[in-house]
Amino acid sequence: MSQQPVFSCSDVHVYVADREVVKGVDLTVPAGEIHAIMGPNGSGKSSLVSAIAGHPAFTLTGQLFLDGEEISELEPDEKARRGLFLAFQYPVAIPGVTVGSFLRAAVSARRGQDVPVREFRRELQAAMEALEMDRSFAGRYLNDGFSGGEKKRLEILQLLLLQPRFAMLDETDSGLDIDALRIVAGGINQAARGGEMGTLIVTHYQRLLNYVEPHVVHVFINGRIVRSGGPELALELEARGYDWLQPEAAAAGGVS
Amino acid sequence: MASATKADATLAGVVSVEAVAALSAAARESEALRARRLEAVRLLEGMTLPHRARHLWRYTDPARFLPSADLTAPAPTEVTSQWRRDDEVVGVALVAGGVVQRVELAEEAREKGVTLANLHASPAEALAHLGTAVPADHGFIETLNTAAWRGGLLLHVPAGVRLDRPLRLRFAAPPAGSLALPRVLVLAGRHASCEVIEGHGGGGAGAQVLGVTEVLLEEGAEVRYSLVQKWEPGVLGHLTAYAHLGPRSRFTMATAVFGGALAKTDVGATLAGEGAESEIYGVTFGGETQHFDHHTEHRHLAGRTRSNLDTRVVVTDAAHSAYTGLIRIAPEAAGCEAYQENRNLLLSPHARAESIPELEISNEDVRCTHGATVAPLDPEQLFYLGSRGLPRNQAHRLIVFGFLGQTLARLPEATRERLEAMVAARLHGD
Repeated sequence: MSQQPVFSCSDVHVYVADREVVKGVDLTVPAGEIHAIMGPNGSGKSSLVSAIAGHPAFTLTGQLFLDGEEISELEPDEKARRGLFLAFQYPVAIPGVTVGSFLRAAVSARRGQDVPVREFRRELQAAMEALEMDRSFAGRYLNDGFSGGEKKRLEILQLLLLQPRFAMLDETDSGLDIDALRIVAGGINQAARGGEMGTLIVTHYQRLLNYVEPHVVHVFINGRIVRSGGPELALELEARGYDWLQPEAAAAGGVS
Repeated sequence: MASATKADATLAGVVSVEAVAALSAAARESEALRARRLEAVRLLEGMTLPHRARHLWRYTDPARFLPSADLTAPAPTEVTSQWRRDDEVVGVALVAGGVVQRVELAEEAREKGVTLANLHASPAEALAHLGTAVPADHGFIETLNTAAWRGGLLLHVPAGVRLDRPLRLRFAAPPAGSLALPRVLVLAGRHASCEVIEGHGGGGAGAQVLGVTEVLLEEGAEVRYSLVQKWEPGVLGHLTAYAHLGPRSRFTMATAVFGGALAKTDVGATLAGEGAESEIYGVTFGGETQHFDHHTEHRHLAGRTRSNLDTRVVVTDAAHSAYTGLIRIAPEAAGCEAYQENRNLLLSPHARAESIPELEISNEDVRCTHGATVAPLDPEQLFYLGSRGLPRNQAHRLIVFGFLGQTLARLPEATRERLEAMVAARLHGD
């Protein structure tokens, strides 16, 4: 494991129009570690990862470091080419653009050179087999008419092909049946296996964490991390819900 | 002359009887064809420029298509496009300077009785069909063309003949300050089948092109037609192309409009025979200060006819596009289906597009839908592609290609590949 964390951020605030939705977040994710952010709906956890990726609807203040480089001022595509990845909660459809041509363009952008068609096809097929995806998938229009599960699989397929340095997975488990969940979790584990990547999983259920074991669990309420702990914290949340932590959120708010 | 005409909006005197008679005599035309021209001259005497309130001319000043040069004067015969051998086609013709410069038709087609020839000297039985799909009084531009067209082509595919390779008809727009009035007549006999690519290119600033194309399909005939316009910047052009469909015939039209300063098209089909089917697909891509004006019409005159139309427009810079689309279903046309969709993508805050679908349905037993959208690039799509490492211009290209590609995907392979290449070239040049 390298000395330097693959990703860290400090004093991150996120605004939608004038409303502050993330109220000061510090986070450090070393290579090879999987962190989970858990929190109730509306707590701001999806806003945090969208804003880190550079979604134009959000304004972000604070610092973001990817492999030691400050990236908060970079465009989304510049961040992505350096190895930042976001698996979307609701991936957008782009009719007329095939999955295959899109993926080749993305992989070429990430690697900084055109990937030869045959080499790409081989890689794509291997990754699709790992996720039990039919070959015909590559010829379909991007997310156009996809089921929820198909969209999530395509996000994880991109995770496998793009080999990011730091991957943020936003509610990747939502909308998946148990078989799809197992396959998607397998893909995440495969991507994380090399120990080079840092991973941040955003979820509000424990169930994905039964398959992808986190090293650290952060509880996110009302725009802040209110508690961090080991995997046992996720189980406790599953058993007790979030309410017991609400006073801590209020207290944290009072301190800052 | 032109300024006086504009002032009182009458079209009388735009073209004279003497000039048209001389033009016809010089081309050694038949008496019948000359009579048809002179009838159009007389029609013009009683016509005025269409009022701007009429929907067809709401977005474009018709006066811009008034001939700025004497339309019967000898046209310069500068051939701007290169002649090259083309083995993908079964026939090819080139019209430039108001003259049919060259016609080639493969042996295999000639043996089957296919004709590709100069329309001026065509047999009376072929010429008798002129005006079937585009009557002389369709509009003032069509009347002007009927009176004074020069450089016309006839394609006749006899009954039962099926051509498996396309024919290419190429029209070079004239140099600056001159006018071209091309004319095309395609006759597809019973159960004949062919594919035609009509291409327009070249031209100088202020050159005018007023073209008319008619495609007649007899019972069971199948014609796939592409109209590809890539004029040089500065050309002012109006292209009218209509098909007339007999029973159970099938017509597919693909329009690709890229060039010119002002480009207006009027494209449609009359479904006159029971069970006829027409599909029109269009892609337009423009920038700078280009002005596009597209009109389409599907007229269902017979029962159990079916039409589908999908046109897509991409405009960037300060380009402007207007689209009006009409579906007309006659009282006696029961059991028809008609679909129409027009989508517009705006790539810059200064680009504009309008879309007006219209329905005139006089029969209860029909299925009919229409839709229109005008929208800028979706920021969610741009962010998604950006988050995968694609720079903004590449993301633009991918979205635009996808937007047009859905329509291109509906076309026959040969046409599709050519158009895809042109869209790609246009996108990379952007």
